[in-house]
Amino acid sequence: MKRRYRHLSAGAVSVALGAALWHVVRVRPTPSVSVASLVADALPASGVSHNVTAVLLNFRSYDTLLEVAVLLAAAVVALALRDEPSARSPAHVMYVALDAFVWRLAPLLVLVAAYLLWAGSTRPGGAFQAGSVLAGAAVLLRLSGLKVTAVDHRLASRGAMTFGLVMFLCVAIGTLLAGQALLEYPAKWAGALILLIEAALTISIGVVLYSLFDNAPQARVSDRESERQRER
Amino acid sequence: MSAQSLLPWMLMVPLSWATLMVLLAQQRDAITRVVNVVGALVLVGLSVALYAGVAQEGLAVHALGGWSAPLGIALRADGLAATLVVLTAVVSSACGLYAMTSERAARTNGKSAPRYFWPLFWLLITALNGIWLAGDLFNLYVGLELLGLSAVGLVALGGSEASLSSALRYLMAALLGSLAYLLGVALMYAAYGTLALPELAELITREPMTQLAIALMTVGLCLKTALFPLHGWLPPAHGVALTPVSAMLSALVVKGSFYILFRLWFEVAPDVVTPLAAQGLGILGAGAVLWGGWQALRESSLKMLVAHSTVAQLGYLFIFFPLAVGTGATAAALATQGMLLHVVAHALAKSAMFLASGTLIASVGRGGVADLAGVGRHMPMSLFAFGLAGVSLMGLPPSGGFNAKWLLLQSALASGQWFWLLVLLGGGLLTAGYVFRVFRESFLESPDDAGQFTKTPRAYDLFALTLAAMSVALGLASRAPLRFMTNGLAVMAGVQ
Repeated sequence: MKRRYRHLSAGAVSVALGAALWHVVRVRPTPSVSVASLVADALPASGVSHNVTAVLLNFRSYDTLLEVAVLLAAAVVALALRDEPSARSPAHVMYVALDAFVWRLAPLLVLVAAYLLWAGSTRPGGAFQAGSVLAGAAVLLRLSGLKVTAVDHRLASRGAMTFGLVMFLCVAIGTLLAGQALLEYPAKWAGALILLIEAALTISIGVVLYSLFDNAPQARVSDRESERQRER
Repeated sequence: MSAQSLLPWMLMVPLSWATLMVLLAQQRDAITRVVNVVGALVLVGLSVALYAGVAQEGLAVHALGGWSAPLGIALRADGLAATLVVLTAVVSSACGLYAMTSERAARTNGKSAPRYFWPLFWLLITALNGIWLAGDLFNLYVGLELLGLSAVGLVALGGSEASLSSALRYLMAALLGSLAYLLGVALMYAAYGTLALPELAELITREPMTQLAIALMTVGLCLKTALFPLHGWLPPAHGVALTPVSAMLSALVVKGSFYILFRLWFEVAPDVVTPLAAQGLGILGAGAVLWGGWQALRESSLKMLVAHSTVAQLGYLFIFFPLAVGTGATAAALATQGMLLHVVAHALAKSAMFLASGTLIASVGRGGVADLAGVGRHMPMSLFAFGLAGVSLMGLPPSGGFNAKWLLLQSALASGQWFWLLVLLGGGLLTAGYVFRVFRESFLESPDDAGQFTKTPRAYDLFALTLAAMSVALGLASRAPLRFMTNGLAVMAGVQ
């Protein structure tokens, strides 16, 4: 009964919010400032020719820096709560077709990630997309039973997780030490610095996203046994 | 360095230290300890320099990336932001030193300290400074996310099943709050095309989309500030966390979302918000004061008692709204002063109280209020710190808490809203009730108290006492910090 009330009230709130949103979007004012045109004007000076990348890594690069810190926070929490190795078991499904497929797909995915990273400066793409593709490749490999190195407490794992942030921070602090504003790239170097940061971020984002999968709590043995019994 | 060039360092320092601490996570104790102490010193030094710089030069603005808003983002520091940066540095340094002492004590007893405390600790400071100094609505959202996630992580570090479940509950509340806020940000962007706070303040008009945006952000931020009746997640999270974490959560983290709410209502959209909505927030605040106080009075665990007290004390912050919206310039100014003083005094007093409670619990070995019997004779200094913090929370003179409540009271009289007086008085009585309850139990003599108290490090009391003393001292010297904090705020414009 209580649950039903909860569902009903949640539904009522959602409907009311939806109706209010519908109403305000219909009568919405026209914005007096157009950031899109400001971006278009400043694009030639940004070092890249794609507006999203220019916003993410130049005009509002500080937001991106903090977002990378958010990702690191998530990865660190997952690492802190990681099961002890003894409690872990290899989680994978056994299909011959999957094995053969993944084995051929993985190198392609790395290539796709590299392309996405490179494409970011001229068209949709960039570090987040490339990193997600890398992480996806690692998850596929792991699920098909191939040994993917664990992202655990070793220095190498933690180094790979923080690599992007370290590089980003080096550039940020470098600009400060050079007497510029934070993350104000010198005009000549803007494109190269952005690519450098994105390349480092791609690796870290890939590792962090995969680590969230790798460090997710394993199903308990009792859960798995009851599942097996149900299958029988 | 000028205040303007100091601004980005307030973020770069804690963020660098967070990264360093991930890399040093498995290192020997001595190395992390040295690095952390150096970090705390640098942070306090830079914060004080920023305070001095803003005091001398006035508002400091740093255009990030060299792009001025609305294309880029700016960091801004007025007197209020600079004060909160210093407060963050002081409180978190004390909590950090406490955590270091307790790690060392755990190691010598052969127990292990939680791994990965320090990266999250520094990320929390990064997020707080990011929020105090932000000049952009979306940037504030990123700050809120970083704050929420690192706070949830710190709660989860407790490792027990209870800490995991309260952390998860905290996470859900924090996410829901963030999403409501983000939806509001999206609406604001749709309506005005910019997210920079000063630009928005000039453009904003009272129309449906803006009103819905402000309402959504207000609800989200109230959930994150644990305003009654959205406070359910707070006591378990603050009560179960490690002691220095509880102290930082209650002292600083909940103030982050409140600070955004204040900026939103009084700097960005003063013409959009209505006295009716402000009265609503005030009533919920009154509910928090009374309900939180009542729960603290009945609570059997010491840390949960202090956590419920946080719910109650946060209520006072919301009584500020009906005193400052739609009232005269004098009442609004008095209310603002009282509220800001309460933010600082509560941060100092509550962190002191949590640290003192943690020490008492470490000594007794159990966390119940009733287990404290006999502790008065063995732990006089911890109990003294607890009491000193209690003086400020109760609002007894001379203390920061007293001055804050006195100013709120004056404002209630000046605006003719005498009924808030009853809430202020009732809240004070309830606070006195739960503080004295702890004292009564502590001074009881227990028959066999010879060997049952564990010796705790002396340094514990030093940190708690310092913070408690500062909250009391704030009552003796509130004029200068108050003038600095309120300098340049729009809500003070009528009286300056």
